[in-house]
Amino acid sequence: MSLKYVGTSLPRKDAIEKVTGSAKFLEDLFIGPLLYAKIKRSNVAHAIIKSIDTKMAENYPGVKAVVTGKDFPNRIGLYLIDRNFFAVDKVRFYGEPVAAVAAVTEEAAAAAVELIEVEYEELPAVFDPRDAMRPDAPLIHDELCHYEVVPVFYPKTCTNIANHFKLRKGDVEKGFAEADMVLERNYFVPHIQHVSIETHKAAAMWGLDGRLTIWSTAQSPSAVRQLLAKSLGMPLHKIRIISNYIGGGFGGKAGATMEGLVIPLAKKCPGYVVRIVFTREEDIQGTFVRQALYSRLKTGVRKDGRITALEYEMIWDGGAYAEYGVNIVRAAGYSSTGAYAIANVKTDSYCVYTNNPVGGPLRGFGMCEMQWGIERQMDEMAGTLNIDPLRLRLINGMKDGSTTASGQTVKHVAFDQCLKVVAEAVEYGKKSGKYRGKGIAGMVKAPAQPSNASSSAIIRLNEDGTIHLLIGSTEMGQGTLTALQQITAEALNIPPEKIELRMPDTDFTPYEWQSVGSRTIYSCGNAVLKAARDVKDQLYALAGPALGVPEDELELNDTEVRWIKDHSKFIKLAELANSFKKAGGEGISGPIIGRGSWVPTTLSNLNPETGQGNPGLFWTFGATAAEVEIDPETGTINLLQLASVLDAGQAINPQLCKAQLNGGAIMGLGTALYEELKLDRGRVLNHNYADYKIPTIENVPDINCFVLETAEEGGPFGARGVGEPPMIGVAPAIASAVANAIGVEFNTFPITPERILQALQEKANKPVL
Amino acid sequence: MRNFEYRKCTSLSEVTGLLCGESVFLLAGGTDLLVGMRGGKYSPRMILDIKDIPELKVLREDEAGITIGAAVTLNRVERFQPVARHVPVLAKACHSVGSFSIRNRATLAGNICNASPAADTAAALYCLGAMVNIAGPGGERYLAIEEFFTGPGKTALENGELVVSVLIAKPYPAGKGVYYKASRTGSVDLATVGVAVQKRDDGIRIAVSAAAPTPVRVKAVERAVSGGMTDWNAAAALVKDDIIPITDLRGSREYRCHLAEALIRRGLAEIMEV
Amino acid sequence: MAGKITIYFTVNGEKETRTVNHGLGLLKFIREELKLTGTKEGCEAGECGACMVLLDGEAVNSCVVLAAELDGKDLVTIEGLAKNGELDRVQQAFIDHSAFQCGYCTPGMIISARALLNRNPSPGDKEISEALSGNLCRCGAYVEIRQAVRACVKK
Repeated sequence: MSLKYVGTSLPRKDAIEKVTGSAKFLEDLFIGPLLYAKIKRSNVAHAIIKSIDTKMAENYPGVKAVVTGKDFPNRIGLYLIDRNFFAVDKVRFYGEPVAAVAAVTEEAAAAAVELIEVEYEELPAVFDPRDAMRPDAPLIHDELCHYEVVPVFYPKTCTNIANHFKLRKGDVEKGFAEADMVLERNYFVPHIQHVSIETHKAAAMWGLDGRLTIWSTAQSPSAVRQLLAKSLGMPLHKIRIISNYIGGGFGGKAGATMEGLVIPLAKKCPGYVVRIVFTREEDIQGTFVRQALYSRLKTGVRKDGRITALEYEMIWDGGAYAEYGVNIVRAAGYSSTGAYAIANVKTDSYCVYTNNPVGGPLRGFGMCEMQWGIERQMDEMAGTLNIDPLRLRLINGMKDGSTTASGQTVKHVAFDQCLKVVAEAVEYGKKSGKYRGKGIAGMVKAPAQPSNASSSAIIRLNEDGTIHLLIGSTEMGQGTLTALQQITAEALNIPPEKIELRMPDTDFTPYEWQSVGSRTIYSCGNAVLKAARDVKDQLYALAGPALGVPEDELELNDTEVRWIKDHSKFIKLAELANSFKKAGGEGISGPIIGRGSWVPTTLSNLNPETGQGNPGLFWTFGATAAEVEIDPETGTINLLQLASVLDAGQAINPQLCKAQLNGGAIMGLGTALYEELKLDRGRVLNHNYADYKIPTIENVPDINCFVLETAEEGGPFGARGVGEPPMIGVAPAIASAVANAIGVEFNTFPITPERILQALQEKANKPVL
Repeated sequence: MRNFEYRKCTSLSEVTGLLCGESVFLLAGGTDLLVGMRGGKYSPRMILDIKDIPELKVLREDEAGITIGAAVTLNRVERFQPVARHVPVLAKACHSVGSFSIRNRATLAGNICNASPAADTAAALYCLGAMVNIAGPGGERYLAIEEFFTGPGKTALENGELVVSVLIAKPYPAGKGVYYKASRTGSVDLATVGVAVQKRDDGIRIAVSAAAPTPVRVKAVERAVSGGMTDWNAAAALVKDDIIPITDLRGSREYRCHLAEALIRRGLAEIMEV
Repeated sequence: MAGKITIYFTVNGEKETRTVNHGLGLLKFIREELKLTGTKEGCEAGECGACMVLLDGEAVNSCVVLAAELDGKDLVTIEGLAKNGELDRVQQAFIDHSAFQCGYCTPGMIISARALLNRNPSPGDKEISEALSGNLCRCGAYVEIRQAVRACVKK
């Protein structure tokens, strides 16, 4: 298949806007009349709200409205409806919204918020999910049994367990019995934060006609509309979600996170636009965090390197609300063998409420956290068996026809090649210095989504043959708009410059389940292909009779619809598109509108007891290799080289694919070496960039990126999603390199200089730091 | 930004006249003040912008030495030829503060007046025996840098006083000087521990920041080395006598002790074995 | 009570006069008074660089500057780089090398790069990284950004 537009590194569609600063993000809009909102947040992690006194705030000059949970006790939730917009009877995490103020200036709102007095009666709190699982643990959600829940999640009534995902494949007892060696380790992955440079923002206007308009930094406008409609008891057509460019999402802006804070204020001030802009500190404390994971992983392996059994117990810190987190736990569960084919698997994955900040999606959606243990254990096993770690991965790696932990068959797999490519890039196996080491890790991910998560697209053919593409997917940096433009161009054989598309507005653009999970290219791309097919069908139905040739012998070529057998027989596209008429003047056809609606047909629910079924739309494989140098005196780690690969199936835009490889690697690097939330009774101590450190350009070497293309059968032009996978293997590859450098195995990260030093001292049996 | 009165001052006397008042803050680079105001640390009633006062803009070298006015930014200090040539330890320390753009605003005087125990420039200034030129209602005075810091965030400035300039007096140290900054990321970060080691004609000076309530000279190590000790391990180990680090977000007490020792040892090796 | 101060300055080549509250920050002034929304807010603490502008030709974090301090100064924002409809060389290089993703840090990043090249037309890699060290990019476009700036280096 020779491609013309797909597979080229077309310059990004949003390029000029973004390099000139004219790209509009939410806070750049001049919408009004504007009221500024500020939030009163709890300063305790678990407490009953005894009273809230808003009198002084209400009377503060410039204040137009004050709301509390009593005004707005509505709950919201994507998978489990457990989350209040505002705390009603009690607060469950430090920083939980308790009240809000809308005022004519930001200063007035901030001053008024200080005047709100809340009386709390503290409750016993729990900050470790393992403690929260104990029978005597304080119950964080005593109404758990009454919450509406999507029936693929299994909360345990009268406990803090929001979801228990069970997976049983094959026979682990038999598998362990067959093993020559059994390895069991505990791993801990701390909470981290997205810290997108743009914080969370939302604005709401409640018209007197009852229509609600929301501007939001949310990744998924259709989902926001749906969730709000359910929560507010409103029909969908009365809620409008307007998207602008998003300054980074990474899952933090998935679902409906904070629009609810301004809606009740807007209701009290009809006709005004009430806007909230989270400060950096609010963003770190009060929005989705990546759930911490306490895990126990046990694997059995034969002398020849074949893994025979895997048992994974994962206890996830879901935080105060688990409406989204329950699915991360599930996804990690059904993916719990990572990139490796293992016949006997027993996994229990628990999402547990604590009084820590709210857990939610972060790039990888459980894969980084879960595959950390898998990859670390691979290395350790290799060491004990005296098999090269790369070879051990090649022996057990998934291949065409392998089955995942949930028994799903994977096809078009080039995992072996992924490993080999990065190993070669860093000259894996060749040690280049005393305190230097090289490491490698595999990775894999499928989108975590409902089995019927769908996409749609509308193609409006303009009268002159140019195109408007309407989609519900959002651009948050991944290059969605450009890639979908290229897919449309390829499908119609019309150059990309003639195709316009913009950020969604639910009053005009069609439904898209969510822009998450690395699913957009695949799912929305397929919807776009169907819309393109529909356009061509309509065009050929007109051109065929007009030219006197069979409809299936026509092709679209930029400005013409022509007969494939003789190009001189054609009709101009503009003629067909512009209310096509007969020679005598009678109209034949109005405007051409292409409709594409796509839903997966291959996915299934998972058996509640065994977790078996087909959850993965596609599986994207990849690998990362790293070389580090350790300073044994200070523990400092110098990243010498990093190589990363993923199998994109078909790179819609090779440059943008590499951008995801680089970007994911850099985010993974940050988590490997610097990032963790430091929590003190649920309060984030490092709640700004001064103490939550992410990589700067100085921390990043040039990265060696590779894109493999083993076509994905159901993907548009063979493509599969690439946004998340590049992050997954980075931390374990670095840990692997550190182990190779200094012989220390880390079971947790970030791998900081202090931890390296402590490990070196322990190894030398020197006094521990 | 809250309610305060902003005044751009044009003379020293204007400043000292107003500085005695309540909640009056000085604005040079603003990189500590404005951030502190946002966090509620400072609530000024009045802010005096001192960037245009002639005496504070001075950056010169003369018979006395190098004079760095209070309004001179860290980038300008680093780029000043005499600093780069004669006292590179100071250039290195200035370079390590914040990010490039912050250093376009932040001043050397501001760094010492903020008096964070982790102030990078302090360790270098200690090794150079810098003098702080202070002006106030009572007139002008010079104070040795080692007497300038009195506690975390506290200086010896009396009510109404401000730093006019910092003097690196001649003769400059003849030997090599290094500043090592250990941090979490090795890029833009506060020091977990900062160590300056400077060889001088009269011996050696070593100063450590972020390991005590103020930056400190590690005299126990200095004495040992001046006294002829050449075992850098043993010498560096003496640092424990002079530092009292704490455990905080950036590192543990034990790690800071270890770092101070390791970096001193490294510094000694680098500057002594030439 | 907060008083007002009249400031005289140039912004993107144009002479301007404004009267501002003493307490107003420069970033807010740029975005809300001058209506130049290309400069972004990311942390209000001088850490992320999204608010970077050129003040008398130097890259500064506008979130730690007061509007009052703009008096007598020359301000250049991202909107001032393209001239007569033609993109600045750095802007074009960012497009050619796809040196951005979400675009939120991009104006600040380009300003820092432009300041660097004005200062030194032939910086090496180390100097490039140092000059941009105060511009955080969470999307991780650093590799492409470095390539874009390299492409602008005078041989």
